Amino acid sequence: MKVLELMERVGSTDTNLMIVWVKDAINILQSNYKDSLTATKQNIVQNQRDYDLPAGFVSIHSVSVLDTEDDDKYKSIRRISGDHFVTEDTSP
Amino acid sequence: MSKFVDRYWVYDIQGRKLHLWKIRRFDDNVPTTSGELFSDAKSNFLVYPPEAITNGLRIEHTSISNPFTSNDPESVAESSLSEDASPTESSYINLSRLLTLAVVDYVRAMLAEKGGNIEGKEYYMRQFYKKASDNESNKRKVLMCGTMSPYAIR
Repeated sequence: MKVLELMERVGSTDTNLMIVWVKDAINILQSNYKDSLTATKQNIVQNQRDYDLPAGFVSIHSVSVLDTEDDDKYKSIRRISGDHFVTEDTSP
Repeated sequence: MSKFVDRYWVYDIQGRKLHLWKIRRFDDNVPTTSGELFSDAKSNFLVYPPEAITNGLRIEHTSISNPFTSNDPESVAESSLSEDASPTESSYINLSRLLTLAVVDYVRAMLAEKGGNIEGKEYYMRQFYKKASDNESNKRKVLMCGTMSPYAIR
């Protein structure tokens, strides 16, 4: 469906506002229903804990790490919660 | 050299950062600076990633990628769609037909809210979520059938 058809259906002539609201609606859909998934990869750096979440990130589906000892398979890892005993590691 | 990653690697999300940790077991012997193998931990604990792995971290997620396209997503395959970075009235909304109709309801809800019609907004938001849920349940059709016994009365 074109943006023009949407505007005709709702009876509006404000294109910019329609485009912004369509983006908002897509954001809600991606947040709740995982309509389309994207996978991004980044390097793991030794002794570095913090990694950027991908640009345009809405909701997470899975996080995996490359297992080089098992045919280079990416395997899902678990999420931990709560306070950690180690808060900063200066000599991993 | 990473192995058993599903058992020993964990993550956490804090704000806009992903924190990556490795679990070091209490009985793991770790060489000290003098080369001595040593373990004095009383329980498992977390360490920063002890090794560099090229393309080692994979994050699967939803995002707002290509919200508008210059060709029709209903007639062109997903992989052949080209993004319309500067959308206009002639751009296509990159969603399935049912989800696009849900978006129409969302826009109606926003228009109702803008006009001070809160009841109307609530009505259209219900329609929005109903269509979004229908789209989701369409992917989970389950066919159940059972055999009929030979002498069953029909």
